[in-house]
Amino acid sequence: MSFIGLEAEQYDRKYRDTELVRRIFSYFRPYKREMAIVTITLTISSLVSALVPILSAIALNSLATNLNPTNLMILLVIILISNLLSYVFNYFNWNYSTRALGNVLLDLRKDAVMAVLEHDLSFFDTNPIGKIVSRINSDSQDFGSMVDLANQVISSIFILSILLVYMVFINLILFFAFILAIPLFFILTFFFRKLARKKTLLGQRALATVNEMVKEILSGIQIAKTFRQEEKLNEKFKTVNTQSYRVNLRRAWVLNAIFPSLGIIQGIVLTLIIYYGGIAILNGQLQPGDLFLFLQSLWILIYPLFVIAAFWPQFQAGLAASERIFSLVDAKPVVIQKNNLKPPKFKGKIEFRNVAFQYKEGEKVFEKFNLIIKPGESLAIVGHTGAGKSTIAKLISRFYEFQEGDILIDDISIRDFELKEYRKQIGIVSQTPFLWADTIENNIKYCCEATDRESVISALEQAGGSDWIMDMSKGLDTYIRERGSLLSMGQRQLVVFARTLLENPSILILDEATASVDPFTETRVQDALEKTIQNRTSIIIAHRLWTVRRVDRIIVLDHGKIVEEGTHNELMARGGKYAGLYNTYFRHQSLEYVEKVKEIKQKQT
Amino acid sequence: MKTNQDNDYTQHYVEFSPELDSFIKARKKGVRSWILAHLLYKNNKYIIIIVFIFTIVAANLSSLILVILGLAITDFLKGDQSNFSFYILLILLLGIGIPLLRLINFMLREILAQRMERDTRKEFLENLLGKSQSFHEQQKTGDLMARATEDVRMLNFLVSPALSLIIESFSILVVPIIYIIIFFPSELAIAPIIFTILFLIALRDYNRKLGPVTVQLRTEFGEMDDKLNESLTGIELIKSTAQELRQSQKYLIHARKYRDAYFQEGKIQAKYTPLLLLAIAITFGLAHSIYLYYQGILTIGDIIAYMGLFALLQFPTNISIFIFALLKLAHASSDRLLEVMNKDTEIDENIEGIQKELVGEIKFENVTFKYPEDVNPVLKNISFEINPGQTLAVVGATGSGKTTLTKLISRLYDISEGKITIDGIDIRDYSLKSLRSQVSYIEQDIFLFSTSIFENISFGRVGTLEEVIEVAKQAQAHDFISRFPKGYESEVGERGVQLSGGERQRIAIARAFLANPKILILDDSTSAIDSETEDKIQEAITNILRKRTTILITHRLSQIRWADLIIVLKKGTIEAIGTHEDLLKSSEEYQKIFIKRFDVDLKQLLKEEA
Repeated sequence: MSFIGLEAEQYDRKYRDTELVRRIFSYFRPYKREMAIVTITLTISSLVSALVPILSAIALNSLATNLNPTNLMILLVIILISNLLSYVFNYFNWNYSTRALGNVLLDLRKDAVMAVLEHDLSFFDTNPIGKIVSRINSDSQDFGSMVDLANQVISSIFILSILLVYMVFINLILFFAFILAIPLFFILTFFFRKLARKKTLLGQRALATVNEMVKEILSGIQIAKTFRQEEKLNEKFKTVNTQSYRVNLRRAWVLNAIFPSLGIIQGIVLTLIIYYGGIAILNGQLQPGDLFLFLQSLWILIYPLFVIAAFWPQFQAGLAASERIFSLVDAKPVVIQKNNLKPPKFKGKIEFRNVAFQYKEGEKVFEKFNLIIKPGESLAIVGHTGAGKSTIAKLISRFYEFQEGDILIDDISIRDFELKEYRKQIGIVSQTPFLWADTIENNIKYCCEATDRESVISALEQAGGSDWIMDMSKGLDTYIRERGSLLSMGQRQLVVFARTLLENPSILILDEATASVDPFTETRVQDALEKTIQNRTSIIIAHRLWTVRRVDRIIVLDHGKIVEEGTHNELMARGGKYAGLYNTYFRHQSLEYVEKVKEIKQKQT
Repeated sequence: MKTNQDNDYTQHYVEFSPELDSFIKARKKGVRSWILAHLLYKNNKYIIIIVFIFTIVAANLSSLILVILGLAITDFLKGDQSNFSFYILLILLLGIGIPLLRLINFMLREILAQRMERDTRKEFLENLLGKSQSFHEQQKTGDLMARATEDVRMLNFLVSPALSLIIESFSILVVPIIYIIIFFPSELAIAPIIFTILFLIALRDYNRKLGPVTVQLRTEFGEMDDKLNESLTGIELIKSTAQELRQSQKYLIHARKYRDAYFQEGKIQAKYTPLLLLAIAITFGLAHSIYLYYQGILTIGDIIAYMGLFALLQFPTNISIFIFALLKLAHASSDRLLEVMNKDTEIDENIEGIQKELVGEIKFENVTFKYPEDVNPVLKNISFEINPGQTLAVVGATGSGKTTLTKLISRLYDISEGKITIDGIDIRDYSLKSLRSQVSYIEQDIFLFSTSIFENISFGRVGTLEEVIEVAKQAQAHDFISRFPKGYESEVGERGVQLSGGERQRIAIARAFLANPKILILDDSTSAIDSETEDKIQEAITNILRKRTTILITHRLSQIRWADLIIVLKKGTIEAIGTHEDLLKSSEEYQKIFIKRFDVDLKQLLKEEA
C-alpha cells in the first residue's frame, strides 16, 4: 500500500468544520433510504463480527472447564451463523454505501460543472482550466475515497470498542499492555509523516521536472528533427530522469519504512501480552481462550490504526477536496443581473455611457468611456495592444462586468436582459478560432442543432464559399479532431465565421478575425464580410487595416480613450495617430511598400 | 518506391536510436513479454530472486512464531515455567525480526519499482524521439504526455505494491498450510486446503467479473476529463451561444456512466465470496481442532497455534479484493505504451547514404504525396526546379498543401510517388543526418526551448558567444536581447512567453543564420514582425536569401517580391508558376489578391510593373 495523500498541503479553510459537515450531509440527504440501510447494516455486521472472537474465546475457555459437548456444538453453530450474518450485512453495507456514494459524487459533479459553466470569464482568468478539471473530477474522487475509508474505519473502531469493553473485564494489566500500542503507533506515524512530507515534496518536484522536460521535448520535437539534435534533448532528459529516480527511491524508502516500524511495535506489544498473559495463566488468573482473544484483538487493532495512520492525510485531503468543490459551487458570478427582460430582436443601437472598467484592482482600462454606435452602423476599432479594443467586445457580450456607468442596447441597460437570450443575439468571431472535436457540420450548427444541411451550406457560402469542404475526405461529415486541428488556421476561421452567421446575430463583433488567414482566403472572406456588415450593427477590431477601409467609421483607441475618429481617408489626411499606426504596422501591406521591396532587393544584388 | 532503383525503402528504421534497444523484440511479442523483459533486465532478476526468498523466509517466521506461541501456552497451562524466558525472548526476537526482514524486502522492491519507472520512461521517450515527423503530427501532445507520465508510473505500481503483494500473498497462502501439516495432525490441513482451492477458483471468477468494470471506470474517468477540458477551452463560445446546459449534458453522460460502473464495481466487490469461504473454513477448523482436543490429540495451546496459522490466510484473502485490479491497470497502461512504441516509422535513416556539402539545386519531378492513412493525395504531380541560390515563394489558399510541400524536402515526410532531387541526387540517397543538417526550417509558430537565449540560438550548431551575438545582430535581435537583465543568458519562459511573436521569430532567424544551411525554408516566419522591424531586417533577410536556396511560404505580399520564382498552389496542384510579372499577366487567381487588397485595377497594376 502506498502513502496516498501524504503530500496533501494545508488548505486555507473558508468553511467552519460544522458547516462543512452539514454541507456534506446535505448531499447524502436525498439518499436517506440507502444511508439508513448503511447505518443499520454497519452496526449489525460490526456487532456480529465482534461476537466471533468473543465466542471463540468462550469456546476455548469451556474446553478447560469441560463444558457439555452439545452446548459447545451450539456455540460453534452460533459462530458459524455470526460469520454468515457478518458477510450478508457487510454485503448490504458495501452495496448501499456504493450506491449512495456514487450518486452523491454524481450530484456533486453536476453541481460543480453547472456552477463552473455559469461563471463569467474573469473566473477563468484566475483559475486555470487544468485546476478546475482536477477539482471537479479528481477532488470529488478524493472525497469519495474519504467517505469509503471512513465507513471501514468506523466499522473497525466499532468492533474494537466492543472487544475493548470485554477485555477490561478480563484482565486489567493485559488491557493496559494492549492499549499501549495505540499511542506508540501515533507517535511513530507522526514522526514519519514529518519526514515523509519533506521527501514527498522533493519527489514530486523531481517528477514535475521530468514531466516538464517530456512536455518540452514533445512540443519541440520538430525543431530537434530538423536540426538533427535528438541526442541533445535525450541527454537532458536522461539527467532529469535519473535524478527523479534517485530522489523518488529515497522517498519510497522512507514511506515504506513506516509499516515495518508499526510491525515492530506490534511485535513488542505481542511480547508484552504473552509475558503478562503467561504469568497470569501460570497464576491461574487467566483462561487460555481469553489470551487468544487478546491476540486476535491485536490483529484487529492493527487494521484501523493502520488505516488511520496511513490514510489520515487522505482524510484531510478528502475534506479539503470537498471544501474546494463547495467553494467552486459557491463562487458568486460577477455579472450582475438586474432584471430578466426577454430581449426583442435588436435594432442594434449600442451606447457606452460613462463606463468604467478594470480587469484587476488598480489597472483601469476605461474611465468614463462614452461611445454611441448607430443601428446598422459598421465601426472599426484600431489601436495598440492593450488599448482596450477587445475589452469593448467582451463588455458588450457580458463576459465581464463593468464597474461604473452603463451600457445600453436600443436604449435599455444590458443588465436588464435575460443573459442567455441576450447573448444569442450577439455574434462574436474571435482571433483564435475554437472548434469542437466533431464534424464540420456539427461545428457550424453548434448554436442551433435543428438546422438543416442546406442552411449549413448557405452559411458557408456566405462566409466565403463552401467549395473547399468538398475536398475534405467526408465533406461536411469530416471529423476535424481536437480543436479542429485537421483544418488549417484559415479553414478554421471560415468555419467559425459560418457558425456565427448561422446564428444570424443582431450585433456582429469581429475580433481580429482574419489575422491568420492567407491572402487568397482573405479576399473571399472580405467579400463575404462586406455583405454581412451591411445590414447589421458590426464592430470590427482590426489587425490588418485594409479590412477597415470600407467601414462607416473608424475609432482609434489609446489607453481606453477615443483619440481619433473618422473614415480611413479622413484619418490618413489628418496625419495623426491613425496615420502613425498605419506606418508602423500596416505600411508593408500597401502596394507602394510592395513595390519598394523590389527596388531594395535589386539595389543589393 | 518504384522510381528508385538502388535502395529498398520499404524496410522500417528509426530516425534516432542512441543505443541498442534491448526490448524491441519483447515489445513486438506483447505486453506480458515486455513486462517480463523489464523485470528480468540486467540485475533486476537478482532483486526479484532475493525478494522472493526473503518473502518466503518472512512467511516461515510468521508461521513459526505461532507454533512457538502454541507450545508456550501448552507449557503455561501445565504450570511448566522452565522455558518461560526462552519463549518470551524468542517471540520478541521474531516479533522484531520479521518486520526488519520486511523492511529490507521493501527497500529492495522499491529499487526495482523505481527502476521500472525510470527505464520504461527512458525507453518510451527514446522511442518517441526516433519516430518520424508525420507520426508526431498525428499525435496529441497531451495524450503522449499522459502516457509518458501516468502510464509509465503504473509500471512502478505494478512492482510496488502489486507484484510484491502477490508474492507475499502466495507465500502466506502456502507456508502456514505446510506448517499445519508438519506440526499438527495432517488431517487439520483439510479445511485450509479445501479453502485454498475454492479461494483460487472464486478469485478467478471475481477477477473475470471485475476486469471489464475496472477498464470501464478508467475509460469513463478519462472521458470526463476530456469533455470537461474541451468545454472549458471553448467556454467563450458556449457562453456566446448560450449552450451551457447542452454542454454540461455532454459531461454528465460520462459522469453517469462512471457512476453506473462504480455501482457495478461495488456490487462485485461486496459479493467477494472468499471472505465468506474463509469465515466458514475457520469455523470448521475450530470445530475440527476441538474435536481432536476431545480425542486427546491436541492441547489448547495447539488449538490456539492452529487457529493463528489459519487466521494468517486472512492476509491473502483480504488483499486480493483490490490487488488484481492494480495488475489490470498496469496491463492496460503497458498496452497504451506499446501501442505507441510498436508503431513503425516510415523514414529510413540511410546511415550509409551520401554525405556531402549541398550546392542547393532542388528539383521536383511529378511528386505526389498522401498521408499513410489517407486516400486523397495532399499534393499531386508537382514538378518544378530551383537553381542554387534562388528564392522560391509558395503562395496559395489555406489547405492547399504549401507547408506539406516544404516538409518533403528535408524528408520530414517521404513522398508517395515521383522524385525529389537535390543537386541531381535523389534525397533518399543522402544520409538523413547529412541532409537535415543542411536544410533549415523556420516555422510560423516558433518554438523555443526553456533554456537560455544563447542555447536557443545555438541549438542547431553550437557557436561561440561572439558568433551568436553576430547572428543576433543580423537578425535584428541583439537590441532586445541586450535589454534583458541577463542578456543572452536569460531563460526563455515556457513556449517563449516573455517574448513577443516578432521577437521569437527574430531569434529563430538568428538560429538559422548560425546553422548556415544550404537550403532554408521559411514558413510564414516573419508574419508577426511589424513594419518598422521589417524595415530593419530587410537587409538581413535579403542577405540570408542571397547565400542559399530559399523557399518562402508567405502571406505577405511584400515578401513575394523577394522571390525569383512564385508557385501558386491550389488544392495540391500547381495552379500557376512564374515570376510576379508573369503571374500578374497570366493568373487570374493571383491578380485578384492584388486588386482586392490594394483597391487598384489590373491596368494600374501592370503599369506599375512596367
